[in-house]
Amino acid sequence: MAKEEARIMEGKVSLPYRWALGPVFSRFFDEIKNKKIMGTKCPKCRRVLVPARKFCPRCFEDNLEWVQVSDKGKIRTWSMITFEFSGQPKPPPYICALVDLDGADTSLSHFIDGVDMTDLEKVRDQVHIGMRVEAKWSDNRQGNIMDIAYFKPM
Amino acid sequence: MARRAAIIGVGQTKHGRREDVNYVELIYEAVKAAIADAGISPDDIEAVAQGSMPSPMEGVNANHLYWADAMTAFGKPLLRTATCGSVGMSIAHLATYHITSGMFDMVLAVGAQKMFEGDPQGTMATVADPWFQRWFIAGAPGVFSMQAHQYMYRYNLPEERVREAAARISVNHHDNAMDNPYAHLRFKVTMEDVMKSRIIAYPTRLMDVCPSSDGACAVIFASEEKAKKMGRKVAWVKGMNYAGDEHFFGDSDKVVWEAAIVAAKKAYQQAGITNPRKELDVAEVYNPFTYQELIFYECFGFCDFGKACELVEDGVVLRGGELPCDPSGGVLCTNPIGATGLLRVAEAALQVTGRAGDRQIAGAKTALAHAMGGACQFNGIMIVGSEL
Amino acid sequence: MTNRVAIVAVEQLGPEECANDNVRDLTFRVSKNLLNQVGLKREDVGTIVSSSSDFWQGISCSNSVYYDALGAYLKNSSKTEEDGAFAFIYGAMRIMSGHYDTCIVHAITKGSEIPGLSTLTNLYADPFFQRPIGLDDVSTAALQAMLYMNKYKITEEQAAKVVVKNLGNALDNPYAHKKGKFSVEDVLKSRTMAYPIKELDCATYSDGTCALLLTSEEKAKKMTKNPVWLRGMGWCVDHQFFGDRDLLDGALRKAARMAYATAGIKSPSKEINVAEICEPYSFQELLYYEQLGFCGEGEGGKFIDKGNTTMKGKLPVNPSGGVLAHNPYVARGLLRIAEAALQLMGKAEKHQVDGVKTALAHSTHGLAGQHHSVVILGK
Repeated sequence: MAKEEARIMEGKVSLPYRWALGPVFSRFFDEIKNKKIMGTKCPKCRRVLVPARKFCPRCFEDNLEWVQVSDKGKIRTWSMITFEFSGQPKPPPYICALVDLDGADTSLSHFIDGVDMTDLEKVRDQVHIGMRVEAKWSDNRQGNIMDIAYFKPM
Repeated sequence: MARRAAIIGVGQTKHGRREDVNYVELIYEAVKAAIADAGISPDDIEAVAQGSMPSPMEGVNANHLYWADAMTAFGKPLLRTATCGSVGMSIAHLATYHITSGMFDMVLAVGAQKMFEGDPQGTMATVADPWFQRWFIAGAPGVFSMQAHQYMYRYNLPEERVREAAARISVNHHDNAMDNPYAHLRFKVTMEDVMKSRIIAYPTRLMDVCPSSDGACAVIFASEEKAKKMGRKVAWVKGMNYAGDEHFFGDSDKVVWEAAIVAAKKAYQQAGITNPRKELDVAEVYNPFTYQELIFYECFGFCDFGKACELVEDGVVLRGGELPCDPSGGVLCTNPIGATGLLRVAEAALQVTGRAGDRQIAGAKTALAHAMGGACQFNGIMIVGSEL
Repeated sequence: MTNRVAIVAVEQLGPEECANDNVRDLTFRVSKNLLNQVGLKREDVGTIVSSSSDFWQGISCSNSVYYDALGAYLKNSSKTEEDGAFAFIYGAMRIMSGHYDTCIVHAITKGSEIPGLSTLTNLYADPFFQRPIGLDDVSTAALQAMLYMNKYKITEEQAAKVVVKNLGNALDNPYAHKKGKFSVEDVLKSRTMAYPIKELDCATYSDGTCALLLTSEEKAKKMTKNPVWLRGMGWCVDHQFFGDRDLLDGALRKAARMAYATAGIKSPSKEINVAEICEPYSFQELLYYEQLGFCGEGEGGKFIDKGNTTMKGKLPVNPSGGVLAHNPYVARGLLRIAEAALQLMGKAEKHQVDGVKTALAHSTHGLAGQHHSVVILGK
């Protein structure tokens, strides 16, 4: 008796979105357009949270003070991405990292560039944990996280 | 249940089109309100129970991880439940079990939705399996309109009569929402407005149907020991149950709807209720569609099968009646789906503790809260009362 | 703990069977097998808790499609999402409340049907700050691994030993998806995905499902001479912003502490006889040894170097092959509990560890383990 063949049915689910930013993130992005990176300081624990937030997740306080942080900092951790997936922001290779900006108590996720990415060994020579980096601002800023094009070695 | 649980505080957002906040901030608003209402501090919350409609609704996967900080959940136990429209009730049940298991004394339940950020009908269409039903279900209006039609013809009721009863429910609930400062839709409608409104999916018309809303609800559950220290009335969980049908819409009868009947019956047993119409003071029935509410009245034993129209015509379930339903305006006026079932619980709790403001039903001591989910698949019930 | 909870039976379906069938019919099969194993009918079961994920399934309200396949028609059955361990935790709470004396807990994921692990986990990231940077399961594991290597001099070779151990152990597990005799060299030579994570350091996508029967103490004593007891459980979540988190000391330590407290465990490395850990990336198993208290801070690499976690070691970790061998993403957390239970029941067959009296099961989900749970089981 022939073995029953289980078939595969393919399909796609595609849904459109329009996400509300809220006034805090909206202001953050307005300031970014002006090349200013803003954080918010919690009155209780005194930490400066970047990106700026409405509330401190540890103290649950929302009376936060806006402070500007530097567009310079150091790499907390990084990785070079060399695989592909559907929905990826750009084709590999690219480097993503957590950057500790001077003045901030939390790390910002972003890209590292301005380095030769032709092979991993070259990258490992150029990029290190603890290395100083600074923001490379986009010429054409729209008010989103990509107004910082990437962080580059100083 | 050996250990008891009570609701000691509730919070909700102003529901509607909330483009003034992002999703996380919406949650924060409700949670902060609940914490203030209970008079506790964020650190007093020992665990969090969360839920919502499918993640594709707002396009963030596993949104319990996304909302974590806004729910005081950093460093605490957090669980997520998701059961379609009934999720709000599932969240309430989940939080209650945290308490009755003996593991926790103070638990936060949070449900929310930000429907203006996605395509709600498009998302809901993905609930139907892709092999057989997805093309035909036509989202919520399709399913519930088919159910409404079944109802009318089952009891040989003239369509006009049922249509009028449904419209009367709509008028009543829209009226009620005028006294609820949190409700999304707050405008009065007349019988003519409802009965002449645009047909969505025959026989359902625009004014028979709930809105899509942005909104969040947070409810704090506590153990008996903690609840008794509150120094004010709390809403004790007296009974709860849940039941589900098969996945295929065509497999079960949705008029004499066993999942609704069974859910209510066991909850009544636990609460010691034998005559719901007499013993319940108020009911927050899940009612995204007016016609469906008639079916729930019957399945919950408020009247005999086939007699829901009389219940409405005699004003029993309207404001001022013997068993007023949805004094908050119900789902018909406010529907951030992930919150909606939990809002029924919150409203029921406010009613029995005498804190429902202008929408208070005088002297309410025992209330029923209900939520429904899926393509007429799930029903969950919670009975709360101010006396043990 | 008010009422004791027992596990009296475990069932799972292998990857081949799961590949050829849909989630609904697979759920029926595993639930029915469980009922048959203990001689119960659907009517005899009090309640059912299932775990699955809408995004993973491509069918929203994921339990809706298989509700009746669980035997849940007109029963009180609920669904937890994203982590199979959640089903166990919630099911256990239902028994502990005294409200039910039998509960089936179930989880299912068909990893072969998804658009891709990275695509779905990239969707965990908020749309404004982290999703545009492409943060996903793999890249965040890499960022964490870089920190780990940098701080404690953990090496890629040490991480590779996890792969060799687990895929080797999986050869003795008929339910594991990926298995084989690999060398450290094989792992180091495999394609770099996101440095330092290489292809063999990553779990694959698998199809899998399991179901366990939980009961009250009274019921357990009637049903079996060999019940497995729940001794303690803990779970915990970390911050949402990746940059807010201490990636080397997050939610796991707290989850473990909560479980150990109830279980009365003071010295995990001595008192735990076997551990089933979720290690979707090799480096994470080493980090999790530390967070679970099996060894000191920064000593994860040394711990595996000494052979402590092999089948013959003093604390075997992942005799089933773990997640590296079998990764039905949501179901994997419940599978760890199932495997731990099988070890205690003496039913782990070829991958049985001797003399198991106390077992630990760990689960994680979210980017670089934003959420963790720990379950301690005993005889």
